[in-house]
Amino acid sequence: MALLEGKDLSKLFGALAAVDQVDFQIEAGEVLGLIGPNGAGKTTLVNLVTGVYPLTRGELYFEGRRIDGLKPAVIARMGIARTFQIVKPFPGMTVRENVVVGALFGKGGAQRNIKTAFEEADRWIEFVHLQDYRNASVDRINISFRKRMDLAKALAMGPTLLMLDEVMAGLNTKDIEEMMALVRRINRELKITLLVIEHVMKAVMGLCQRIIVLHHGRKIADATPQEIVQDERVIEAYLGERYAKARQRSA
Amino acid sequence: MKNKKQLLIAVLIGLGFVILPLLIEGYWIRVISSIFMYGVVTGALNIIAGFAGYAAFGNVVFFGIGAYSTAMLMLRVGFPWWGGCVIGAILAAFFAVVVGFPVLRLRGHYFAIATLGINRAVEQIALDWGSFTGGGKGITLPLPQMEIQSFYAMIYFILFGLLLVTLLTNFAIARGRLGYALRAIRDDEDAAEASGIFAPSCKVIAWAISAFITGLTGGVFAYWFSFIEPATVFDIMIAVKAFVMMMLGGAGTVMGPVLGAFLLELISETVWGQFLTIHMLILGTIVIGVVIFIPRGMLHLFRQRFSLSALIRNIKNQSI
Repeated sequence: MALLEGKDLSKLFGALAAVDQVDFQIEAGEVLGLIGPNGAGKTTLVNLVTGVYPLTRGELYFEGRRIDGLKPAVIARMGIARTFQIVKPFPGMTVRENVVVGALFGKGGAQRNIKTAFEEADRWIEFVHLQDYRNASVDRINISFRKRMDLAKALAMGPTLLMLDEVMAGLNTKDIEEMMALVRRINRELKITLLVIEHVMKAVMGLCQRIIVLHHGRKIADATPQEIVQDERVIEAYLGERYAKARQRSA
Repeated sequence: MKNKKQLLIAVLIGLGFVILPLLIEGYWIRVISSIFMYGVVTGALNIIAGFAGYAAFGNVVFFGIGAYSTAMLMLRVGFPWWGGCVIGAILAAFFAVVVGFPVLRLRGHYFAIATLGINRAVEQIALDWGSFTGGGKGITLPLPQMEIQSFYAMIYFILFGLLLVTLLTNFAIARGRLGYALRAIRDDEDAAEASGIFAPSCKVIAWAISAFITGLTGGVFAYWFSFIEPATVFDIMIAVKAFVMMMLGGAGTVMGPVLGAFLLELISETVWGQFLTIHMLILGTIVIGVVIFIPRGMLHLFRQRFSLSALIRNIKNQSI
């Protein structure tokens, strides 16, 4: 049984099908990439899974239980966490308070009191190497730190499935390396299943065991990274001739 | 150590207010009672508007409900005043839950406008249902069976007690789960829900607590003044003043709103008393000054330690 399964998922905004008859599965323990051009429906798909938008058609199953129609907070407490493409910190709070929100209200949060939740938050702040900034106000830290804080908040929720919506976007090369190392540790050491939305192809190729490609809301490919880069439709829709040729040359 | 020192100062200030009625005359007892009352109303508003960021401009509706419930229960059912106040507070909280579930789905200005509409609607019921409520002419409550000076002293201590309860409530919320949930909702409601916070329930609970305290205060007000009319207890200016006090002191902090209430009400009683016609002008000026120069409130300035230089920095930043 797949950890997360979407059957015939569709989301219409008026006449526009942002997600169009998509079937997909995420197996427990894997790192699944989700790529595609801007406006392909990647973030919409995440918003469908997390319950932000109701489905127009289709069914969603998490750990065998049907989750479509549930409220975002209920889905979050079941063990599905996400980060946001445009980071959504709580600006009135410190780094530590931001992360503690995840520890207080995520999966297992109901069993924690304020004190143990802060201990949990500190653990994840150290995991993402932000311990020197734990009492900083969020508007005083840069984008790279904010992305890591968002990650720590999601991890503090104790998720089984974590969806990373462009965690590399806006980072420099060194920060990307660090973030990739973190993502690998999350999957290998913490055994958290990951869905990775990403435009940085180096990260996608380096992290994912399998990749799904969306184009105009439709799934056009679902294969290993090696197969994806040779897929004609994917090259045409997203990667472009230049990328394909560059890879062939380097291969 | 710092906390102990703060606690000591707080206890000393509290004791000061306990022995104060022995030193001051009737007029000042009423002034300080009225400061306490605004402190309570502002502290209650802070729970929904300061922590959760929902601008409940119509919060005065709970004040009116508390006042009218107390009046009606005393007159028509023969309740003691305190019984009326408690039932009135429960009714106000219940009303907040009933209207809260639909109305708290609105965000920003839409919510603020909806609460204004609710306040007007309830006020209209009090006006039109004259046979029961006394209508626009208002209604007189049973007078207390005690000497007027000791009555005012009693009201002073009741409102002081309510103020302490309000502060403790704010403190407990700020330190507890609800406080983190509400501040997360204020800062980004979508991200809050994605973190597992049941935003609708948290908002309704916050509003119900706010309504309970405000309703209780309305009941005490009715008993204190022994005459109420819709135009007084549903007066939107009560809520506007509470908002200014909250912003002045520091929205979403524990002490800030009460500090703001003390400052503004003291100014209002001492200065505006001399300038009856232009006091609205002064209020307006304070509102504009606060939102431009100290949007996060006085308490935030104090926390930045060099409060004067922080103020100057704020002014400089604004002039760019």
